[in-house]
Amino acid sequence: MPARILVVEDNPANLELVCYLLRFHGHTVLTAVNGEDGVAAAEAHHPDLILCDLQMPVLDGYQVLERLRGRRGGAAIRIVALTAFSMPNDRLRVLDAGFNGYMSKPIDPETFMAQVEEHLPPPLRSAPSQAT
Amino acid sequence: MTPDLAGLIANESPDALILMTDQGRVLHWSKAAESIFGYRGQEAFGQTLATLVVPPEHAEEQSLRLRETLSEGTATYESVRRRKDGSLLYVDVSTRLLADGSAPPRVLSAEKDVTHIKVRRDAKLMEARFRDLLESTPDGIVMANPTGHIVIANTQAERLFGYEAGELLGRSVDMLLPQRYRHAHVGHRSNYFQQPRKRSMGSGLDLSGLRKDGSEFPIEISLSPLHTEESAFVMSAIRDISERKRFEHALQEKNQELANANQAKDRFLAGMSHELRTPLNAIIGFTGTLLMQLPGPLNEEQHKQLRMVQSSGRHLLALINDLLDVSKIEAGKVDLQLESVDCRLVLEEVAATLQPQAHSKGLTFELQLPEQSRPVTSDRRALCQIVLNLASNAIKFTETGGVLLMLHQDTSARTTEIRVHDSGIGIPESEQTKLFGAFTRVQSSRAGAPEGTGLGLHLSQKLAELLGGRIDFRSVHGEGSCFTLVLAKD
Repeated sequence: MPARILVVEDNPANLELVCYLLRFHGHTVLTAVNGEDGVAAAEAHHPDLILCDLQMPVLDGYQVLERLRGRRGGAAIRIVALTAFSMPNDRLRVLDAGFNGYMSKPIDPETFMAQVEEHLPPPLRSAPSQAT
Repeated sequence: MTPDLAGLIANESPDALILMTDQGRVLHWSKAAESIFGYRGQEAFGQTLATLVVPPEHAEEQSLRLRETLSEGTATYESVRRRKDGSLLYVDVSTRLLADGSAPPRVLSAEKDVTHIKVRRDAKLMEARFRDLLESTPDGIVMANPTGHIVIANTQAERLFGYEAGELLGRSVDMLLPQRYRHAHVGHRSNYFQQPRKRSMGSGLDLSGLRKDGSEFPIEISLSPLHTEESAFVMSAIRDISERKRFEHALQEKNQELANANQAKDRFLAGMSHELRTPLNAIIGFTGTLLMQLPGPLNEEQHKQLRMVQSSGRHLLALINDLLDVSKIEAGKVDLQLESVDCRLVLEEVAATLQPQAHSKGLTFELQLPEQSRPVTSDRRALCQIVLNLASNAIKFTETGGVLLMLHQDTSARTTEIRVHDSGIGIPESEQTKLFGAFTRVQSSRAGAPEGTGLGLHLSQKLAELLGGRIDFRSVHGEGSCFTLVLAKD
């Protein structure tokens, strides 16, 4: 099932890579190039999943998370950190902060979609990844 | 004698004259009593002598002497009194019972301050016995009598506190301490005489000495009791620890600087890793989408060239990861999770990971495990990382034949060795010494030989050391190599 996925990412090349892969697999993609725009887009469009970079201008990923979770119904938002911070503590820090998941860069395009699928609401997951 | 003259004598006598009831309550307190003991006449009136000026440890003696006076008519004795400010003094006491029958019996007590006479006597004795000895020690030494008066101080102590020779004699030791410690010190000192034993006063306390000019300096004091036939004394050895304090302070600052530098380095490494990965994401990612032919088909040459971009990108990523690992080990930041590990499972895991790679190169990959194995206490992840590295090196540098991975445990010597044999190109003797250095690659005889990050063995050796072991190797150029991970004895 196609999902509506918001990608919040300030690096144009990385934004294009992620969007390309998501669109290729049939998903509808919304984009934002900084944290503030990300929060606005999330509130305006209520996407099924948010993939959010951590280090960004205006608002960083943690601040985006804090704002979205702080809103009514914010606890139900699915938001996954997609970051080049990949020291052993970073994963824990991300999950402790309240993200639904952690994905590290560089991404592997061959396994990327399977990881994304895991974080989609169950009805939107495609058959193969449900099996894995 | 006129009454005036009698009053004059009573008032001006240098000795304290005290008139008491037969219960020891003060009725009259002379001017000398005021100046010797520090209490005014009004303060003293109606109080018992015992509560006013008798230290607790002399209370019993005092009541004994009062009873003696009441029964015998007089008593003469030497005792210790406590002034209003807490300081102690020696007194010679003469008492006399006044009972003319017309009034209730009263007691007259004349008390002479003999502290300085005693100090001088003790000082003379101490000088003769201990002066030479005291002058020969590097510490400042001060000896005090039970009332806290200095009976001898060596030159080092005088110099330490800024006094002239002999100037400390007869003074209270309390004056060598800043005002804020004195009250506690009086109590401390009187307790010390109750239970004298050798001890250090400096440990754990920040003590200061007070110089004559009012300046303070950090000191360490050790106390020991000294008994002579005449009396008990306390000897204080005093050391100026300004220098040590300065070193401690400098060391603390240095430590803080180091901690800051370390933090800065950690931040730098984390930042560097992030900044390097960010462009690699697009490089590896788009190379991947192209190779998956998502945008469209590739011809053979395009495919080949993109594979090179991909492997170079992955190489760069491996390099970043290894560099971070090395710097973590060097900063001592690796948290080992020690647990009981069955080495056979580790080797099986490594074999399962690498067998496809070996087979695709046309190499055999054998695993030789004993039927029984003794678990070792180690970090599973680190162990895995080392073996994986040694075994993948073996595959990398072998073109024909194969790789043998084996576990060898000696029960009697309690040693565990994991060996990786290969029939590869081997390592020339000239290269063997620099094998474990960072970024040193063995010159390969073959053009286009596969390249590692140059950090693999360096990292493995460091990890092995962390685990309490080491990596040994034997190699004959052109015939093959054997790398052995020797684990710590269990």
